[in-house]
Amino acid sequence: MIRFRSAFLSPLALGATLLSAAGPANPTPQTGTLNDLQAAYNGESNARATYLAYATKAQKEGYAKAAALFRAAAKAEEIHAANHAQVIKTLGAEPKADIKAPEVKSTRENLQAAIKGETYERDVMYPGFLTQARKEGKVDAIRTFNYAKTAEAEHARLYQEALNNLDGWKTQNASFYVCPVCGYTSTTRPQEKCPSSFTASARFLTIG
Amino acid sequence: MPPLPTWTSLHPLIIHFPIALLYVAPLFILAAIFWRRAREGWSLAALVLMGLGTLSLFLAVATGEAAGRLAERTPQITAALERHESLAETGQVVFSFLTLAFAILVLVPLVLKWEPRAWLRQTVSVVFLFAYLVGLGQLTRVAHEGGRLVHEFGVHSIVTATGPDATTPSPEAPREEPHERDDH
Repeated sequence: MIRFRSAFLSPLALGATLLSAAGPANPTPQTGTLNDLQAAYNGESNARATYLAYATKAQKEGYAKAAALFRAAAKAEEIHAANHAQVIKTLGAEPKADIKAPEVKSTRENLQAAIKGETYERDVMYPGFLTQARKEGKVDAIRTFNYAKTAEAEHARLYQEALNNLDGWKTQNASFYVCPVCGYTSTTRPQEKCPSSFTASARFLTIG
Repeated sequence: MPPLPTWTSLHPLIIHFPIALLYVAPLFILAAIFWRRAREGWSLAALVLMGLGTLSLFLAVATGEAAGRLAERTPQITAALERHESLAETGQVVFSFLTLAFAILVLVPLVLKWEPRAWLRQTVSVVFLFAYLVGLGQLTRVAHEGGRLVHEFGVHSIVTATGPDATTPSPEAPREEPHERDDH
């Protein structure tokens, strides 16, 4: 139990609320794709709520561009959650999420927490889930995990960019572009198609 | 009988059709230039090959996108996939245009029962062949990028013998392990 709790809680300590959402996702990555999907759905749903709270805080602190990034990332997480939910349903289960109240600190700290959460999802959680889904040959699960992993990598990069130059992220009227299919998030609209899901760039959502 | 491959695993099978058909078609145009008595037959055969090759190119792009959505991603792989996809889409446009142009060249005289002068016909055929060679260069680049994805980046299509996720096997049922295809 202690081992389980330490494995379970160590990421939580790192990433505060964000990781509390993602933490239960990967106590052991080899627990079956349906469990992984449920964990990912829970994580994405919590991440969405957390980012929306972070966006409000960033807006209050005058970091308008950072607020826009949090809103765009929240939209992406919503898309990931919806994609995961759809696959969970095709596997005959009901998606379940336990939404926790996000712990909001300063925008700088929120960005640090967000980076930790996204990095964990990119490097640990989704790679483990993908390995399991590939082993089971669950094509729809591979697709939705792949979409999420690619988008989380971009989120981590953008959050890092914001953290490196936070004062420069007070810019008003900044917009981000989010793929409505996979949640890929970008500062510019792709020239033709989404690099992750090949969705036409004209369909990208503009989040400001 | 082996199970039917799923849509997401078709790309490695489909890609050989445009490569084979579109590379062989100009040989038939050459035959039409040099074997004048059977010119119409060779030209029509070339047109059929081009038409089928172009159709299979569209199919290859569509199945490639489906396979690409499942591919393991790193920034390098994503960039290589984007390049491969973009070149393939340009190839679609190029070969659609070439096939349409060749259809006009072959079918208009047949429909109008008009016999162009030999020098004109030969010149147009040679010019078309050169344009076609440019198209083949484009196709070669597409295939090369696809080859790099497989052999340099290790991207493989996922081949599921049992179909998509919707078919959830019972725990007792023996299931075939999914595997990855090595060809691109």
